[in-house]
Amino acid sequence: MAATLCGRIVIKTGCLPLVKSVRHGSKAVTRHRKPMHILKQKLMAVTEYIPPKPAAPPGAFTPRMQKTKEESGLERLLKRDLESVFSESKMIAVLQNNATNAEDMLLLKHRLRKHDITIKFFPNQVMRSFLPSSPYSNMQPLFIGQTVLFVSKEPKVKEMLQVLRSSPQMLLLGACIENTLLSREGILNYSKLPTMHTVHGELVGGLTLMTSHTVSMLHRHPAYLSALLQQYIKQQQPADSAELEAAPKTEESAA
Amino acid sequence: MMFSVFRSVFSGLTCRRLEAQAVLQQQHALKVLSAGLKTYDVPPDYSDVVLPERPKLKFFNKVPNLKKAKKEMKKLRDIQGPAKSANTFRWGQYGILALGGGYLHWGHMEMMRLTINRCMDSRTTFARWRINAPYKPITRKGLGQRMGGGKGAIDHYVTPVKCGRLIVEVGGHLELGEVESVLKEVAKKLPFPAKVVSRESLTVMQQEQAEREANNQNPWTFERIARSNMLGIRKVLSPFDLHNHGRYTGKFFNPDRV
Repeated sequence: MAATLCGRIVIKTGCLPLVKSVRHGSKAVTRHRKPMHILKQKLMAVTEYIPPKPAAPPGAFTPRMQKTKEESGLERLLKRDLESVFSESKMIAVLQNNATNAEDMLLLKHRLRKHDITIKFFPNQVMRSFLPSSPYSNMQPLFIGQTVLFVSKEPKVKEMLQVLRSSPQMLLLGACIENTLLSREGILNYSKLPTMHTVHGELVGGLTLMTSHTVSMLHRHPAYLSALLQQYIKQQQPADSAELEAAPKTEESAA
Repeated sequence: MMFSVFRSVFSGLTCRRLEAQAVLQQQHALKVLSAGLKTYDVPPDYSDVVLPERPKLKFFNKVPNLKKAKKEMKKLRDIQGPAKSANTFRWGQYGILALGGGYLHWGHMEMMRLTINRCMDSRTTFARWRINAPYKPITRKGLGQRMGGGKGAIDHYVTPVKCGRLIVEVGGHLELGEVESVLKEVAKKLPFPAKVVSRESLTVMQQEQAEREANNQNPWTFERIARSNMLGIRKVLSPFDLHNHGRYTGKFFNPDRV
């Protein structure tokens, strides 16, 4: 109906621009959502809100500051103790402590006490703060995990090893004996060495043996001595002549 | 052993009172004493809040008192777009904010009035309308009437509400938690999306919107394209889009647009 009407109107009015009809019918209906024009849909999609990129977190660009804590009084005390231990004792053995219970530890302490060896516990933190500045800085890798120091003023390695045989929880890692850093094998070898007194005795014995031998030789009959000397000269001569013969040849070749 | 016996005998002989004291002391020692310190928040200061004489919501007439009721046109403009009036707090601290346009009937107002008046404590709280009584006439043709014959008779009156208008304000010596549940109950029964806001949350909303507009990373904004009529886009846009930038379509509100 409407189409026919419109058609009639169009036919009647023709293409006259002045008589063009103005449409009033369609309103912006606001009571329900109108389907949006496709172009407007595209426009809405293009002009959507884009939020700014979140700013970098506050710690991202500032350089990391390492906190330097002031040493507590206990730490300073422990450090002082440690210094005195390292300066006074000749044997410092480092052992790994694998969950030794209190009773075993007490027994071990008593046994070591007999040989004047004491057990010292120091926190690794204190160790790490003390060692790098000291001449014992090479001991640093030994102090990882649960570690215990066996300390004595005399190098009593043999006794220590003997006591350790009864406590398998303690593992010997290394030791500093008379300012020498020793590994486990080194300590074992060290323990096999005879004591200073026996070595001294051996040396003295050897020296006295030589002198006593010459004295006894001198006390013998002179004829025997002369025979020996002659034999010595004979032994020396062929070597000397060979040397003498060899020497001119080399000189000639050099000339 | 001997000493303890001696002491007990001595105490029994000499003074009972001392013993009693000792027992008391023992009991005291057994008691586990625990002391704690709790810091309470400072209660909000309501010294500047003045309660009105009539704290409750006023009754609205169902029909305005007019000499001659006149039929009006639909005038859909009055629910379209953002509200220009009553969009900020005036008396109270908390309120119901319309997030879309619509018509409030007398029934809605009665519902709000009864619910809020029932649930609020009138000694500490007050509530105020931010809308007028129904004034816009809506006409209907009678039932079973044939079409034609002119405009129908006035059926009822409504109050048009635009998006962003406050409907009710609540204030007094109270915090949001005390009235939020009631206001929410009311807000979800209204004929348009509505929300419970406080003075602070409303300013936060406005600030957020301003911030979004300022910090939009999209160089192609609706305003720019519509105003310069790129690709002849104005052909499909409404004149209101030039102001609203696609944020309001008719009575509807698109909160995520800038």
